[in-house]
Amino acid sequence: MNKVIDVKKLTKEYKNLKAVDNLSFEVYEGEILGLLGPNGSGKSTTINCILSLLNFSKGSIKIFGSEMTPDSYELKKEIGVVFQDVALFEELTVYDNIDYFCGLYINDKKVRKLYIEDAIKLVGLEDFKTFYPKQLSGGLLRRLNIACGIAHKPKLIFLDEPTVAVDPQSRNNILDGIKILREQGATIIYTTHYMEEVEILCDRVIILDKGRIIASGTCDELKALSDIEEKISLEINKLDDKHLEEINKFKTVDVATYSNNTLLITYKKGKNNLLELMEYLKKERIKYNNIFVERPTLNDVFLSLTGKELRD
Amino acid sequence: MFFHNFKYSLKTLFKNRMLIFWTFAFPIILGTLFNMAFKDIESSEQLDIIDIAIVENEQFNNNEMYKEIFNNLSDKNNEDRLFNINYTTKEEASKLLEDEKVSGYLVYEDGFKIFVKTSGINETILKTVTEEIKQNEIMMNSLTEIEIKNGNYNYEAISNDIMAIIENSEANIEDISSSNLSYTMIEFYTLIAMTCLYGGILGMVALNGCLANMTNNGKRVSVAPIKKSKLIISSLLASYIVQVIGIALLFLYTTFVLKVDYGNNLPLIILLALVGTLAGLALGVFVSAMFKTNENTKTGIIISVTMLGCFLSGMMGITMKYIVDKNVPIINKLNPASMITDGFYSLYYYDTETRYFFNIISLIIFAFILISISIFSLRRQKYDSI
Repeated sequence: MNKVIDVKKLTKEYKNLKAVDNLSFEVYEGEILGLLGPNGSGKSTTINCILSLLNFSKGSIKIFGSEMTPDSYELKKEIGVVFQDVALFEELTVYDNIDYFCGLYINDKKVRKLYIEDAIKLVGLEDFKTFYPKQLSGGLLRRLNIACGIAHKPKLIFLDEPTVAVDPQSRNNILDGIKILREQGATIIYTTHYMEEVEILCDRVIILDKGRIIASGTCDELKALSDIEEKISLEINKLDDKHLEEINKFKTVDVATYSNNTLLITYKKGKNNLLELMEYLKKERIKYNNIFVERPTLNDVFLSLTGKELRD
Repeated sequence: MFFHNFKYSLKTLFKNRMLIFWTFAFPIILGTLFNMAFKDIESSEQLDIIDIAIVENEQFNNNEMYKEIFNNLSDKNNEDRLFNINYTTKEEASKLLEDEKVSGYLVYEDGFKIFVKTSGINETILKTVTEEIKQNEIMMNSLTEIEIKNGNYNYEAISNDIMAIIENSEANIEDISSSNLSYTMIEFYTLIAMTCLYGGILGMVALNGCLANMTNNGKRVSVAPIKKSKLIISSLLASYIVQVIGIALLFLYTTFVLKVDYGNNLPLIILLALVGTLAGLALGVFVSAMFKTNENTKTGIIISVTMLGCFLSGMMGITMKYIVDKNVPIINKLNPASMITDGFYSLYYYDTETRYFFNIISLIIFAFILISISIFSLRRQKYDSI
């Protein structure tokens, strides 16, 4: 596959802080790369450096094989950016906002008109073309923000936390839209701190913390890095300390805790731990209600690698 | 793309209510308030014709000069007449004064004696005019004596010379009083100056929208394939045009509704407004480029600088302009509001255009310096932080 982005040893320093520390990675044509990390981990700074908005201390950045500079207008034509903060004109309607930003890329009015209609359809704003931003809900604003960034049909799209503070309906719409963009051939860099979105969307994931890559790979590859392999939780009205101690002694159990009538067990290994647990509960005549079995999430991976939660 | 950005810049500026208020509505509202406030003041200060009485005695009737002077001062065909004179007896004059039908009366007996009941503007004018007549009388006597001592006995020639001197003296007084000297004009000049400089808000907003380290929209347009210079120039051009329209509306409103007279030299008035607006735009560009703070704070800075400049150039009272010009003239030499105000002032009151063009050049230099500093700051294309 062709390299669309090639970042080598990127370092961005502020006075007393390394926001990005010796970062190297590639993005390949047609893939969705997730940049996952907690707030302040360097995701947005990395994107701003790639887009040549920010000075960086060291490293090199190539897009489509060419060095990216503020004057790389030919490269910029192929790039679409949806920033974390909504960037719109309050004085323009939905249609005019998209037309304005799309017009910075596409001169031909007829082509632009078609592109705008496609963008509006993609984000589901057909009924809001004549609305002004202040008339839109937070979710619809985010959708408009995306439409403004991708209306010119770029080959490379940066989506920086596009679903922050949106309602479930808009989130689903946005995620569906991103899948369609990928199907249409776009390469996408997607930053978020919502691990569920990464698991749904991304072909590969880079996990960042304090400006450094702490892990990268496919979701399955990353999950393999986790200390745990399975999580089981049960609702139990009463559980003695003796029983909890015995469960903790199971061979594959990492740790078992009981609080708020919930028994939570994490397993280091094995995929059929449930059977052993059920037999024990039956034998000890312990009554239980709901049972949930989960595979480890990227949050567990992050927890294993850094000792803290992704959303800390 | 230049026209595309220009078109949408115009659209967003015209639809921005805050900007429209400060650049279009506020000056018109302020102008209306000025007109309401100062029109009354001016009209209240217009001199009414003063009713006086002169006692017709033998001495007065024999003094042709006094008779002529008072006839002139009370001539109904004279637009500038001061008095409505009742020639009467001393008793009648006294009664008229007692009944407050006249402000005072004069008796000519070895010089004028003034009789008034109260002290006020009318009484002061009566006294001042009488004093002046006395001065003229003394001057005439002195001149006549000198001419006679010099052996010139041609009384007609002497009389003509003296009358010429008096007429010249009157002519000087007339020049000052008839030039429609209105200190409220300064208020309107400063109002125009204020509106020109408020154009800075438009310039600041337009430039902010192009800078990635200032606004979210600035970030978005900075990643678009359009040259920064093209983006900034098209945005600023739109701001300039909007501001010029605002100034034009203010001129039309003050000229045709408030009946403000800006003089007859329309091309130079327009030139000053255009250059003043350029100075305002430069101020906005400078504030936008040099201060890394939010838009409201920048607006506050521009409004504060403008209002301070207008205050120092006489917006809240012409006395301030005189005080600054007299004590710290450098302030108003550097003050763009003062340059604009003084430009209009000189255009209206002086026949020569030297002072006007001095102000025009000062404004251009002011704009050039601010824009140069701003360009130097804006040259960088990447930021250390955004």
